[in-house]
Amino acid sequence: MDRAGEASDAEVVAASLAEPRRFGELFDRHATVLHRYVVRRIGPADAGAIVGEVFRIAFEKRDRYDCNRESARPWLYGIATNLVAKHRRGEGRRLRAVARLAAARDDPRADIADAVTDRVDAARRWERVADAVTALPQPERDALVLHVWEGLAYDDIAVALDVPVGTVRSRLNRARTRLRELAADRGEEPHDNIHGRNSGRIES
Amino acid sequence: MNDDDFDPLRRLQPDRIEPDDPGDPAVYARVKEQFMSSIDEALSSITTSAMPDVYPRLAYNDELAAVDYLTRVFAFAEQREARMEFDNHYLCWLRIGNGIVMLGHANADVHRIHSPADVGLTTVIMHVYVHDIDAHYAHAVAEGADITMDLRDAFYGDRLYEATDPEGHRWHFGERFESIVARGGRAPKPEDQPE
Repeated sequence: MDRAGEASDAEVVAASLAEPRRFGELFDRHATVLHRYVVRRIGPADAGAIVGEVFRIAFEKRDRYDCNRESARPWLYGIATNLVAKHRRGEGRRLRAVARLAAARDDPRADIADAVTDRVDAARRWERVADAVTALPQPERDALVLHVWEGLAYDDIAVALDVPVGTVRSRLNRARTRLRELAADRGEEPHDNIHGRNSGRIES
Repeated sequence: MNDDDFDPLRRLQPDRIEPDDPGDPAVYARVKEQFMSSIDEALSSITTSAMPDVYPRLAYNDELAAVDYLTRVFAFAEQREARMEFDNHYLCWLRIGNGIVMLGHANADVHRIHSPADVGLTTVIMHVYVHDIDAHYAHAVAEGADITMDLRDAFYGDRLYEATDPEGHRWHFGERFESIVARGGRAPKPEDQPE
């Protein structure tokens, strides 16, 4: 984010203590990214309302913002993550729906002769990923999604989830292990690539 | 770390699979408008509390001496520009935090209110919250306040003390436990709740 000459988020938060309406600048800077995040996790239906709630909560807590952090985005991600946690079942449904779409998208990759078998195969594989992620405990799933989908650095995930960086590392490691185990439990090679049929990748 | 383990989930990112819907600007505009109006509501409540709706009026035989005393000993601030004079008597506004008390002359014909010094009793205790009760107490003691109840941690969550001013009005100064903890003060030890 290059905003030469513009106030940093931290400066905006500080200024908003005396001029509360300036907090609206943070909305302009981060609302679209947070909205996309919420949509990814629980779908578009409640996303607008949740984003509004994120900023209302942030505004109320602005006097406790750590002004050493220039970007408010990890902090806002954290508030959004807490709100998303109330929609856990919605999250599972969404992931399975996305898995079905993903399986349908995989078709063009299949050889024509194998098309039917392959489609069933792909559907199972994606379903397995969706189930594995849904089965993770909330703290691991939060860290995982912030890392994989949102591309947040470990430091930023730590701020968002209000835990030490070491905890982020161990949550991601546990999530990784569980994803492998769950895949293995269902008769899958632990390191099988999701597009295994075509990739021919061999893990040592 | 081998991030390939995460690759399946990366590919399951919904907007990689469905056409990326950037979100409706009209929705953002509406959500932002609601958010900004919630700020305005919060603001109006702050403004309301900055101008309190209750103004107790206390009577003194020597109201200017009371102003001097209360500002010196208990750190009230007089709104000097608001002071009004009637026939050598005064009506003064003292501020502390977001609260205001008015000091007027006792036994004035118009309002018929009295100084405890004249009637020998008082019917009111003024309860005032301050930012740092320990500092407030130390300052009051150093300025010679008449402490009529020592500093204590009350069971209902206030650390407070009582002082009686020269004409007999009684003042409780306190701070909520949450505020003490928030500013990193000594942890309160609340006394037992009476049966």
